Amino acid sequence: MTGHDVVFVLVGLLTAAAAILTVTSKNLVHAALFLATTLAGIAGVFLVLAADFLALVQLVVYVGAVAVLFLFGLMLTRAPIGREALDNQNRGLAIGVSGGLFVVLSALIVDAVVGGSLGDTTVAEVTGPGIEDIGMAIFAEWVLPFEVLSMLLLAALIGAIVLARREPGDSGEEAMATRIDFGDAPPTEGTDSLSSGSLPELTSGERREGGP
Amino acid sequence: MSPLGPLLLATLLFCVGIYGVIARRNAVLVLMSVELMLNAVNINLVAFSNLLFPEDAAVSGQIFALFIIGVAAAEVGVGLAIVFNMFRNRASVNVDDVDLMRW
Amino acid sequence: MEALLDYAWVVVALPLLSAALIAMFGKQLPGGGSELGVASLGLAFLASAGIAWETFVNSPIEPVERALEWSPLGGGFVFELGILVDGLTAVMLLLVTTVSLMVHIYSREYMRGEPRFTYFFSMLSLFTFSMLVLVVANNLLLAVIGWELVGLCSFLLIGFYWEKKPNQDAANKAFLTTKFGDVGLIVGVIVLSAGMFELDTSTPFNILEINGAAAAGDLATGTIVLGMLLIFLGCVSKSGQMPLHVWLPDAMAGPTPVSALIHAATMVTAGVFLLARLYPVMAQSQAVMAVIAVVGVITLFFGGLLALVQDDLKKVLAYSTISQLGYMIAALGVGGYTASMFHLFTHGFFKALLFLGAGSLIHAVHSNNMSDMGGMARAMPHTFWTFIVGSLALAGFPLTAGFFSKDEILIAGDIWAGAGFATGALVYWIGLAAAFVTTFYMARVCFLVFAGENRSHHPPHESGKQMVGPLMLLAVLSIASGYLLSPFSPDQPNFETWMATPILDEDATFPFTEDGATEATGVQGDGVQAGGEVVAVEGAEGGPVSVLHGVPSWHPDLLAIVLGIFAVAIFLAYRFYGRGVPERDPTLRMGPVSTALVNKYGFDAFGYRFIVVPVRDTLSRWATYSSNHWLDGIVGGVGRATMSVAQSTYRVLDQRVIDGGVNGAAFSAAWWSERLKRIQSGDVQRYAGALVAGVIVLILAFIAVR
Repeated sequence: MTGHDVVFVLVGLLTAAAAILTVTSKNLVHAALFLATTLAGIAGVFLVLAADFLALVQLVVYVGAVAVLFLFGLMLTRAPIGREALDNQNRGLAIGVSGGLFVVLSALIVDAVVGGSLGDTTVAEVTGPGIEDIGMAIFAEWVLPFEVLSMLLLAALIGAIVLARREPGDSGEEAMATRIDFGDAPPTEGTDSLSSGSLPELTSGERREGGP
Repeated sequence: MSPLGPLLLATLLFCVGIYGVIARRNAVLVLMSVELMLNAVNINLVAFSNLLFPEDAAVSGQIFALFIIGVAAAEVGVGLAIVFNMFRNRASVNVDDVDLMRW
Repeated sequence: MEALLDYAWVVVALPLLSAALIAMFGKQLPGGGSELGVASLGLAFLASAGIAWETFVNSPIEPVERALEWSPLGGGFVFELGILVDGLTAVMLLLVTTVSLMVHIYSREYMRGEPRFTYFFSMLSLFTFSMLVLVVANNLLLAVIGWELVGLCSFLLIGFYWEKKPNQDAANKAFLTTKFGDVGLIVGVIVLSAGMFELDTSTPFNILEINGAAAAGDLATGTIVLGMLLIFLGCVSKSGQMPLHVWLPDAMAGPTPVSALIHAATMVTAGVFLLARLYPVMAQSQAVMAVIAVVGVITLFFGGLLALVQDDLKKVLAYSTISQLGYMIAALGVGGYTASMFHLFTHGFFKALLFLGAGSLIHAVHSNNMSDMGGMARAMPHTFWTFIVGSLALAGFPLTAGFFSKDEILIAGDIWAGAGFATGALVYWIGLAAAFVTTFYMARVCFLVFAGENRSHHPPHESGKQMVGPLMLLAVLSIASGYLLSPFSPDQPNFETWMATPILDEDATFPFTEDGATEATGVQGDGVQAGGEVVAVEGAEGGPVSVLHGVPSWHPDLLAIVLGIFAVAIFLAYRFYGRGVPERDPTLRMGPVSTALVNKYGFDAFGYRFIVVPVRDTLSRWATYSSNHWLDGIVGGVGRATMSVAQSTYRVLDQRVIDGGVNGAAFSAAWWSERLKRIQSGDVQRYAGALVAGVIVLILAFIAVR
């Protein structure tokens, strides 16, 4: 047991506990906060594993952006902050499957690491490449995947906007994107103004169900 | 330091993510669980690269992890947009309400 | 001009194109499609003339072979679609396209007003195409295809007036008789190619390869004898040799231009052509050559005799065709390769001329019978003199084409006799005798038709330009074509160098003649004055006999004999027929001989008596009895048994097993799908759970296998 191990066990236990709470919490906002905790814990794990740059990226992207995004998502979808059942009837299946997979995989890992089929795996001092090496690798060897990834992010950006957009300048209206999805002829202006008084979501939902 | 701990932690996170994906009704929670699974994979990659094969795969593991973070960010963006859309059309974000493609 | 040989396939393609175009658009055209046929044949004729000139002037040439190769079966077998152009091909191309062009032009007038005018021209073009395929084929498979196509067109054109039963019968007879020989042909081709397969070639049907292998002695003797005799069977039926000649006179039921093109000038020579094509193979075996010579001799003599008693003008010509084909076949059998092809070439022209002239006469008097003609010389002067030219050529009057070519055959027989083969003497003497017969029956025809009083019921009139023009052109060719190989010909080029190939060159000899067989028989090679002297001496010394005989020299004594024969025959014919009274026809008053001839030696009666009658009367009567008394019982019993078996089968097998199976399949499908569809719940999370469960199973399986 080195100092590294001790720190890792502490951080790991924290992370694992937060993760389990994330998927079991009855409260949606709590679940999101536990997720942020998990992600931060994972950043700690990266630190222990001597991946400093990755830990920072984890903090910035996940804890800083994604977790907040999830919170926004919960708020915008009017998440029932109450006692509504957050789990469906598949809970037994979920427990069985995930538990079984965990047992099988961890047995394999323990067998491989402790059983010695990987050889002596204990490292005295954990080292990792510095930021300089990572930068050189990304922009020399991996530059093409990097550019492809940037294109993917751009596409995701545009796609998210198109999917989530409402009618421009008319916040109560049905989104154009949903019409396109179903291939209907777009409703006339008159129909739109008639329906603008009620709740937009309900209106559009009812209309959709009454439609073809 | 032994790789056992990080690997077991990654396994646990992955399986917890699977549980969340299968058991949670709320679509946003399902997306969160997916994030958990992706992060488990990241831990695995870094642990393998830094603990087991520090010479051979020193940079590759972390670069893969970086790419996964990028892809995950894109996935969250699009996924949440889909959830919003679904909410607007059906006034619900429950996954088990969306079962049009059944017998 | 060199490139012309590469494009010989164009000559073949043109008639096919015109046949298709006539069939599609002919009825809309003012000429009923005939102009298309004439135009395409004209082009084909020009191209053939170019090819012929090229090969003739530069003769002997290397054969030009061009082939598309196709290997659908693998296993080292390549099917070729190719052309082979050498002197032999060029001669046939020229002959076929010339005669076909003449017949096309002639038919425009002759067939005018026929209800199936367009169909007729389409068939003419198709026939020309088929014949050309056979001629240019570079492998035996393609040649067989052309051969069968030719037979099909012949069948269709013989039965052109199919409204009348005898014409249908004639077409069927021709088709079945030739088909009998075709079986032999195909088996023979297979035998030869089987021999070639053993030589590790990928193209066992290639004619040049077969010839080369045979000349090099690579083919087994058994293969050659069996293969060539079977192929010869095909030639016997197609070229009207005895005893399979019976279809050819009946084939005159077709329109006269068809008789001229198909049953005189081109198709019936296909057998001769094929034998000439495979001459290097045939020349390897003495036995094969002897058989061929004997069949040819029998045909040339007895076929000629049959022509004596016919009243139908076309049948006289048909039997004379059989006789002349016999000359060609016999010449091949006695080493007269060039002579045979030369006679084929000249005969094509003058026999086409005679048939077209006969057509012109028939057109004028509306009857085939000579007893309905007479005195036509004044009414139809152009037809008269062209017909006389053709008759002289056929009879072998000196300085006509028939004289030179027929004497080449006699020379070949003489040389062959000099080398010690009895068949040579047979061909020589019987050939001379048949020449007398030929002269006599042609003189008979000429006197009966042109001399005396007009006996027809229609006032005869000369035919139009489109019929007379081809007659005149063919008359010129009937004289001129003989000078390709005559004492006046240069050493090179002449018809013989034209026919020469790298295999059949000046040094080529008959392998089995090498051991001085001269003393074997008493016939002296130079006993009858005919042959090229050098070769005859060679034969007398016991050396090998050359395939090519050289330019013939001039022999006054032979000329004297021929003129003597001619004079006697004409005199006799004049005595009998000079006043054109067929009632006193002496050929019908020769007692049993006449009876035999009128009955065609009983070939048809023989077939009727021993094939048709036994089958029809005895066999079928017995078959009727046995079927009524024995078979009916058996059939009835079998029927009842079948019924009961069927009943039980129906009850058990059909109702229970099959219907049960089918219905059960449907019911079980419904039952299972009712339960299995619940898996398709639409719940994505269940799907995900099932997916992970599958992953677990896979991992466990992986562990277990490891």
